[in-house]
Amino acid sequence: MLEVKNLCKHFGGIKAVDGATFTVEKGAITALIGPNGAGKTTAFNCISRTAAPTSGEVWLDGERIDHLRPHKITAKGLSRTFQISRNLGDMTVIENVIVQSRVDGLRGLFRPAMSREEKDKAMSILDFLGITRIAHEDGHNLSYGQKKLMDLAALLMSDPKIILLDEPAGGVNPSLMEEIVGHIRALNDKGLTVLIVEHNMDLIMRLSHKVVVMAHGKVICAGTPDVVRKDPHVLDAYLGGVLEDEAA
Amino acid sequence: MTVTLQDSSASAVIEARRTYNEKLSRKTDQTRATWFPLALLALLAALPLLQFVGNYNYVLHLVLFTASYVAMASSWNILGGFAGYVSLGHAVFFGVGGYFSGMLLARYGISTLITAPLAGLVAAAIGYGVGLVTLKVRGPSFIISSIALLMIARILFDNWHFIGGANGLTLPTNDLTVQWAKLPYYYAMLAIAAFTVWSAYKIKHSKFGLGLRALSKDEIKAESAGIDTRFYKVVAFALSAFFVGMAGAVWGEYLTYLRPNIFLLILVSANMVLMCILGGKGTIAGPVIGAILIVALNELFVATMGASEINILGTGLVMAIGLMFFPLGLVGTLARSGKLPRILNWD
Repeated sequence: MLEVKNLCKHFGGIKAVDGATFTVEKGAITALIGPNGAGKTTAFNCISRTAAPTSGEVWLDGERIDHLRPHKITAKGLSRTFQISRNLGDMTVIENVIVQSRVDGLRGLFRPAMSREEKDKAMSILDFLGITRIAHEDGHNLSYGQKKLMDLAALLMSDPKIILLDEPAGGVNPSLMEEIVGHIRALNDKGLTVLIVEHNMDLIMRLSHKVVVMAHGKVICAGTPDVVRKDPHVLDAYLGGVLEDEAA
Repeated sequence: MTVTLQDSSASAVIEARRTYNEKLSRKTDQTRATWFPLALLALLAALPLLQFVGNYNYVLHLVLFTASYVAMASSWNILGGFAGYVSLGHAVFFGVGGYFSGMLLARYGISTLITAPLAGLVAAAIGYGVGLVTLKVRGPSFIISSIALLMIARILFDNWHFIGGANGLTLPTNDLTVQWAKLPYYYAMLAIAAFTVWSAYKIKHSKFGLGLRALSKDEIKAESAGIDTRFYKVVAFALSAFFVGMAGAVWGEYLTYLRPNIFLLILVSANMVLMCILGGKGTIAGPVIGAILIVALNELFVATMGASEINILGTGLVMAIGLMFFPLGLVGTLARSGKLPRILNWD
């Protein structure tokens, strides 16, 4: 469904992403892991075009998207969350959610901000995530965990085909983490494709169908959680070991 | 402790939750006082009746002047308040509107009351073009680019002989008696102000307005939420130039002369900004209240201190103290703390 081919992103001399190639299969949960600085978030940014890739290609459903602007990519059905929740402070939760719903054409631009259907849809999403009670709360009054849930809710409002989650459980308590895991699984069961960056290995191993491991901007291993867990390259990357061919 | 639910009570809970959710999703602001601005408008529309019992030209002038600033501040608010782009160059659109319609009046004798919407469109088109270039930067860089726009326009207008250069241009006066001469412009300006406030309200409550509010907070987030931020910003710039241009058109004929040092002043831009900030940026009532307050304060201090430099000091002092206690502007701060009188809730 999503194909990343030879993706590169250089910041001056730093090669944050250096020829990463991987695919995300339709209907699966794919995890992107790697030690800090491996280029996971940068890869995310290049896929969603929040940052422009230096070179390489990104294909979504057979269509090349790496030259499109971010809002176009969202319209194509690829939505993302941010590692540090970027919610819109002065707006209520329901506005934060509805802002993500699709607007078509010039006339769509000047119709009322929140139609009844959109409100109902937003409320059903909030209900699914169990946060209806904060619907009319201002964005900046929320706790960190609530913001994470709100991000997820906003994501769903745009009817995405594939969602990119950047550390959805980063910095949240274990019980909320379980809740978020449950939500992601439920969404996946409904047919939503998920690409997720996460540091919590336990969560990754339980949740994902496929794991892509990055280190130094390159993909060093990809496969099922069990395969990845036993891969010597992955162990080396995480434990800081020296590969034999490098040592030689 | 464990709680067990009977099937019937479980469905009752689900039912209760559903109705609760529905209630929440239907929740709307019930305290909005739409009647108040309408009543105010009706009152002001009836005000010229005073002319039958005496000469109240000064009062009419003050209302007209305030209305022009209500229109301009509300218009500025679309870009500065909703989208968060502070422009100090909006006087340019005031000048463009004034000169465009003024030239049509001087050359062809068509009243600005007819050509004002056209002047607005010209201002909007220029705003659109300028926005395409300058809206690529934000924050201080954008403010400076807007000041640059004003300076460029001033130099251009000062040296453009076709439109009178720095000496300006005298426009024909209408042939009404002194008692009634102000009335056409009075009603035109009132209509423009009302139309601007209404439009700002409509914009704020549209998809477009929601998008502008989103991008004013976080452009990257807004863009990834599916908002074409570049297009939204430029349209906001054009719209906010439109109403200023219309006000400028009518103002020119009202003054009966056009001169760059009346229209293309940073003070005119600064007034719009200050009114929005004092009243409450991003609110609907804010620019209106701000315009009324600043015009009233200016008049008060000119009357008590004379048109010296001290009167400016007086206005500045009141503004500074006001903003210490109302950092989000009068309407904004009161709304945030839930103390906004109902008659000022126009959002």
